[in-house]
Amino acid sequence: MNSNNNSTIDYTLIFIVLLLGIVSCFTLYSVQPYLGSEAQDNYFIKQIAWYIAGGIVVGGIMWIDYDRFRHISWYLYGAGMVTLLMLFFRFPPQIIHTANNATSWFIFPGIGTIQPAEFFKVFLIIALAQVMVSHNEKFKTRTNKSDLWLIAKIAAVSLPPMGLIAVQPDLGGFLVLAAIVACMVLVSGIRWRVLLAVSLLGLMLIAAVIGLSVMFPDTVGTTLEESVFKHVESRFYGWLDPEKYAESGYQLKKAMLAIGSGQLTGKGLQDFEVDVPERQTDMIFTAIAEQFGFVGASIVITLLFLLIYRLIYIALQSNDEYGSFIITGLIGMFAFQIFQNIGMSVQLLPITGLPLPFLSYGGSSTLTYMIAIGLALNIRSRTKQYMFD
Amino acid sequence: MGKKKKKRAQLPFRLNILFLFVFLLFSGLILQLGVVQILNGEEAQDEINRTENTISEIPVPRGKMFDRYGRLVLDNEPVRSITYTAPKNGAKAEDRLDLAKKLAGYIDIEDAEEKVSERDKQEYWYLLNEEDALEKLTDEEKEELDNGDQYNTMLERITEEELAEIEWNDDLLEVIAIKKELDAASELSPHIVKNEGVTEEEYAKVSEHLGELEGIDATIDWKRISAVEGTFSDIIGSVSSTERGIPKENEQYYLSRGYSPNDRVGISGLEEQYEAELKGTKEKVEYITDSSGKVVNTEVVTEGQRGNDLMLTIDMELQQAVDKIVREELKTAIEMHPSKNQYMSDALVVMMDPQTGEVLTMSGQHYDREEKEYRNQSYRTLYDAHRPGSAVKGATVLSGLDAGVINPGTVFNDRTIKIGQLEKSSYKDLGPVTDIQALQESSNVYMFHIAMRMAGEFNYHYGMKSMNFDPQSFTTMRNYFKQFGLGVETGIDYPYEATGYVGPDPQGGNLLDFAIGQYDTYTTMQLAQYVSTLANDGYRIRPRLVSEIRSPKPDRDELGSVVESFNTDVLNKIEMDDKYLDRVHEGFRRVITQGTAEGHGWGSLSEYKVAAKTGTAENEVYKDGKKLADTENLSLVGYAPYDEPEVAFAIIVPNNGTGNGQYDINHKIGTRIIKKYFELKENRDKDGVNKELKQSKEGKEEVED
Repeated sequence: MNSNNNSTIDYTLIFIVLLLGIVSCFTLYSVQPYLGSEAQDNYFIKQIAWYIAGGIVVGGIMWIDYDRFRHISWYLYGAGMVTLLMLFFRFPPQIIHTANNATSWFIFPGIGTIQPAEFFKVFLIIALAQVMVSHNEKFKTRTNKSDLWLIAKIAAVSLPPMGLIAVQPDLGGFLVLAAIVACMVLVSGIRWRVLLAVSLLGLMLIAAVIGLSVMFPDTVGTTLEESVFKHVESRFYGWLDPEKYAESGYQLKKAMLAIGSGQLTGKGLQDFEVDVPERQTDMIFTAIAEQFGFVGASIVITLLFLLIYRLIYIALQSNDEYGSFIITGLIGMFAFQIFQNIGMSVQLLPITGLPLPFLSYGGSSTLTYMIAIGLALNIRSRTKQYMFD
Repeated sequence: MGKKKKKRAQLPFRLNILFLFVFLLFSGLILQLGVVQILNGEEAQDEINRTENTISEIPVPRGKMFDRYGRLVLDNEPVRSITYTAPKNGAKAEDRLDLAKKLAGYIDIEDAEEKVSERDKQEYWYLLNEEDALEKLTDEEKEELDNGDQYNTMLERITEEELAEIEWNDDLLEVIAIKKELDAASELSPHIVKNEGVTEEEYAKVSEHLGELEGIDATIDWKRISAVEGTFSDIIGSVSSTERGIPKENEQYYLSRGYSPNDRVGISGLEEQYEAELKGTKEKVEYITDSSGKVVNTEVVTEGQRGNDLMLTIDMELQQAVDKIVREELKTAIEMHPSKNQYMSDALVVMMDPQTGEVLTMSGQHYDREEKEYRNQSYRTLYDAHRPGSAVKGATVLSGLDAGVINPGTVFNDRTIKIGQLEKSSYKDLGPVTDIQALQESSNVYMFHIAMRMAGEFNYHYGMKSMNFDPQSFTTMRNYFKQFGLGVETGIDYPYEATGYVGPDPQGGNLLDFAIGQYDTYTTMQLAQYVSTLANDGYRIRPRLVSEIRSPKPDRDELGSVVESFNTDVLNKIEMDDKYLDRVHEGFRRVITQGTAEGHGWGSLSEYKVAAKTGTAENEVYKDGKKLADTENLSLVGYAPYDEPEVAFAIIVPNNGTGNGQYDINHKIGTRIIKKYFELKENRDKDGVNKELKQSKEGKEEVED
């Protein structure tokens, strides 16, 4: 037991993340020469740099007792909201960056682009965990009323940022937040009947909005429909019939060809036959699947699954609700992104702009995931101490 | 405590549910991955491996044309050109811009500023500022307009100020001008980016850098170049431009013969008639593209070959000389009597070898009264039909002899005839004439008697109320005429020829007019065929403009081997006794020596032994249904030498002013061209073929001095 006492650091999790980092850098290294002339950056080197920066961030987060986050959760949340509002109002215009029709970035000369929505995922998790823990501390006995009250509080905290991200429009970011909220609500202790009722109500509401917009396309022609639905619609059609909706289905068709032609064992290192756009970021999975086939891709998926498994293990081990809630939020974030990203490249889901955690190239996202890992390690490291209570 | 335990218990439970859920999702991923990679993997690989073969054709120079003595008439000039072949399904606008930028480094575009329109600039701005452009649309427009309309609306809304942000220097304008050409290219078919004034240096630079210029090629395109500028060019015809391609009205015809829409084809004249020979075999290159449309391999399937050469029957030296003569005479006639000859605008001449049907010269001179300019319009000898007047009398006499209504030596008294109100006569009362004398003196009355008898009236007497008229007789007489080529197609190897106007009203008076060439109209080529048939003992020969087709030889001046030689093509033989023909020959001979042509300058040419028939046809000039003036068509048909005819000619000059002092242009032209013909022949016999042809710009300067 004593030896366990001292091992406050979860090497398994670190090992998994290290493996994923190696896979990421190695894959970026392999695709670098095939990215075409527009890719000026050396993604492989830059990704290594981001991982190193991420490692430092992890160390920094480990330093602080995660319980402290309870105190600063609202400051983080507030800061995140301010950045989202700045994007919404496009202020100040000099640093607002729009790409692919979405206003989702700040741009800083010399540093590059920063996507606040990425960081906000973690901020929301911390804030929601705080909301749920305080609620549960206050209402020792669960009643319908207290459960509904909690749901209302969760909604009040999560809906505004979700709305702001949806209108950027960033469907992927929106869905990730939704997944986080859903997972956290599931473990929040709210009783099944309330959950069931509320989710039924939510489903009916969504059905009603869609129904109305189909029946009265003119009157429901709101900003929401303009910015979000149309965007969703074209992705959806492209997913259903990539041949017909060439523009939105183009990426999918390429991805399917690349992955499919990898077959069981892959074509081998750097043997690319299909030119998939965004191969260094959202479509990095196609590069793995094409080079290393079903075997290689399955190993990567398993690795990602082990990551989730390890997080669930940490959440289960933690005897502190706050820690468990945070981990659950992280699980929601990772699991959804992994499922969505890989799912869209194998035509299981419509195409949505989401990076594959730890593998896709990206500064904001890699840092965010490293923060998340920092939190998980932190929670894990403090868990042991409580075991002697 | 129990409650706390329950609460503690629900968290792991729910986490386990979450874990199960994630497990199921990831299992789903691996399952789907298995479907995509293992079940459908081979299919995907097949799709990647699937290549498409597309054959592209590269133009070769067209066949050349030589005149009958092997002198180069029409040649090709190589034009270095830079072409662009768009990949399958086109290239992206950004890629084309990149390519244009690279290409601009190697070639210069002249007058780029003029070539770049406002819209081109807007398109360029759009490429650079796609996001800003999108903001120019209202949300409604984004929804309602289709992509094309959206694009146009965006372009329209680009302001002057926005355009002014870009510095439109010459280099940029060149890039845009090049991009414009790249935009116009259709997939897998070479499009010319620049072909005029490509310097050798530019050509070399582009050739060296073909590797980085995807789709760009440096090739040679061909331009037609006449060695006898202006002469005969309308008969030679023209070739469509790359932009125009194959004629749209006959698209199916050409496409089914393996042409592609941008091919240059002969669209008029001999270029059209002999398209199949002249076009050559295009170089066929097979492009193999992969499923993404990238060209992975190119292979020459068929080596191209230049088109076959044509040997024309035309004597280009004679053609040039005759053009000059005809133009000078037309000019003289018009300038001598500006008022009387105010309706005169054309003089047409055809000369051919009566034995073989080889056309030696087709000359049409036209005076454009609005532009006050003389033009070479040889095609008028095929397109324009005129009343020839008495020139056809040879055919009338032969019809009469063959039908048995007259016999060799039959005499009619030439004096004014009167039937009912109709009074008709020769230019003067000639008294009793035989068939030969009737031709010699051009007796109209003799022809009227033949016509009346053909119509069934054998008992004409002066002042009779009406004549017997068998309506069939018109057909009978026309059929006789057709045996000489009058009123039918001559069969010349040319895309179009007129057959003349056929009078619509078959009645007695008109038949009489028909017999003296005053009713139906004929082209100069028909008249030439008619007189050739007489000269050639009744064999009607198909006139030819091309005598041989030769395979191409790389050497510029050398002739290749004969691919096809066109033999003399007898269309029909006149079914008459040869002695009847002799009567007409004799009549024609006497026309020159003692008949209507006497005193018109033929006396000094007796050594050439010309036989001919003159013609004067009344030809009223109408405008908008109102008669403006009485004019006369002057014609002359003949051949020489009469004992062994080697050249036949037909001349017609419509709308001469009437009355005293009429310029005998038909004789003036006739004597000069015959003289020229024999002069050139003598020179050839003495000094061999003159290899050098004159370059004449529309022959204009020569007339003016």
